[in-house]
Amino acid sequence: MNPLIFTTILMTVLLGTMIVMMSSHWLMIWIGFEMNLLAIIPILMKKYNPRTMEASTKYFLTQATASMLLMMAIIINLMHSGQWTITKVFNPTASIIMTSALAMKLGLTPFHFWVPEVTQGISLTSGLILLTWQKLAPMSILYQISPSINLNILLTMAVLSILVGGWGGLNQTQLRKIMAYSSIAHMGWMTAVLVYSPTLTMLNMLIYIMMTLTMFMLFIHSSSTTTLSLSHTWNKTPLTTTLILITLLSMGGLPPLSGFMPKWMIIQELTKNSSIILPTLMAIMALLNLYFYMRLTYSTSLTMFPSTNNMKMKWQFETKRITLLPPLIVMSSLLLPLTPMLSILD
Amino acid sequence: MMTYIVFILSVIFVISFVGFSSKPSPIYGGLVLIVSGGVGCGIIMNFGGSFLGLMVFLIYLGGMLVVFGYTTAMATEQYPEVWVSNTTVMGVFLLGLLMEVMLVLYVLKSEEVGVVFKFSGVGDWAIYDTGDSEVFSEEIMGVAALYSYGAWVVIVTGWSLLVGVLVILEVTRGD
Repeated sequence: MNPLIFTTILMTVLLGTMIVMMSSHWLMIWIGFEMNLLAIIPILMKKYNPRTMEASTKYFLTQATASMLLMMAIIINLMHSGQWTITKVFNPTASIIMTSALAMKLGLTPFHFWVPEVTQGISLTSGLILLTWQKLAPMSILYQISPSINLNILLTMAVLSILVGGWGGLNQTQLRKIMAYSSIAHMGWMTAVLVYSPTLTMLNMLIYIMMTLTMFMLFIHSSSTTTLSLSHTWNKTPLTTTLILITLLSMGGLPPLSGFMPKWMIIQELTKNSSIILPTLMAIMALLNLYFYMRLTYSTSLTMFPSTNNMKMKWQFETKRITLLPPLIVMSSLLLPLTPMLSILD
Repeated sequence: MMTYIVFILSVIFVISFVGFSSKPSPIYGGLVLIVSGGVGCGIIMNFGGSFLGLMVFLIYLGGMLVVFGYTTAMATEQYPEVWVSNTTVMGVFLLGLLMEVMLVLYVLKSEEVGVVFKFSGVGDWAIYDTGDSEVFSEEIMGVAALYSYGAWVVIVTGWSLLVGVLVILEVTRGD
């Protein structure tokens, strides 16, 4: 793609999300969502093969439907409150429709079916943008309408998302689909605590974005999109095997890595609000996630499959320089001791 | 009939939307869009927005739909789909028509209609008074406000249109 046009389109994706996060008028928020959707389509279609075109079409259809539902909720809200300012939504019907629309944009169950298919059809870099940047705008709107969200619907969608994200990722060998199911599960964790403490949603979003960025950059560094090609990392750059191990365990939510911090805080907040069965179920279902991360680490870092001796002597190395990788790895594994700093967020 | 003109126009609006949503060939979709644009213009004018109705005809029908018609005529196939040529298209069209007829009968018969939100029968469509001000037209003041207080909206929509053109060129260019 022409670099100037590519830069313009990428800046428009940024501008769309910025407009969504900074507007106080519902119509501008809808315009921001549409601008974001329009501009990310050519980024998803960077390579011209039928898979990317199909993935972009699926993404466009689901997100456009979600924008239509959002517009309907905005108009119902206008009918019942007479104003366009973004505060809590005044009508329960409008609130349910808006929650469903934003759940479709995020990829929560039962609207999760597009996430693995779209993520699988596009390149690794586009998948990175899809799973991290595109989650910011709907989450910011959910944060702003959180006082008026129907608890039953949101918690049902959250728990089902954690279940589907864990269960659906079990049979996958393609790395992009694994990351997609991981994204579904993490969105479930984030929306589960939204009504109780939106600050923890933002904390979880921050740490999730850091970990997903790290994982995708490690995949891009070793140019691997399947478990099999990831298991050859010991031959290309042996250091990244350790880094993949640490980051995957952090994504699984194991202490003493930073992925444990959001899960710990969320479970604590939920139990403070006298719901005990729910966080127990959520923690148990997060084990499914941990299982397929562990399977990846098993084949990548912990074992080396039998190979002939001349395979071990690689003499042609392709190096990609990924600038932000070391700080991201450090941040996505060592942030747990900073947990007491969370008190400044109140 | 004139008190219920907005209701009748909205019914024709929905029927023409059903007409192109049942996916005949784009040429026939454009034909139905002309009807829906004209009817939409009538709805806006009944609420006092004569300038906006004129904009619909001039810019939407006379500008965008003409260009759409020309590009579709360049890309059309030998035997385009009509509503009666394909069983699926005709079935969906008749289904949409049936649902609209049932909704209209429901609205006409009962006092209060509560589908997603409640409104009272046909009463909400009849226009008794338009707006509060009888000194100046609110609609023209709205258009003027778009270019003064709403400068950010103009910038955003202008940028979206420019990026829309760039995106479409990128997507259709291929390799």
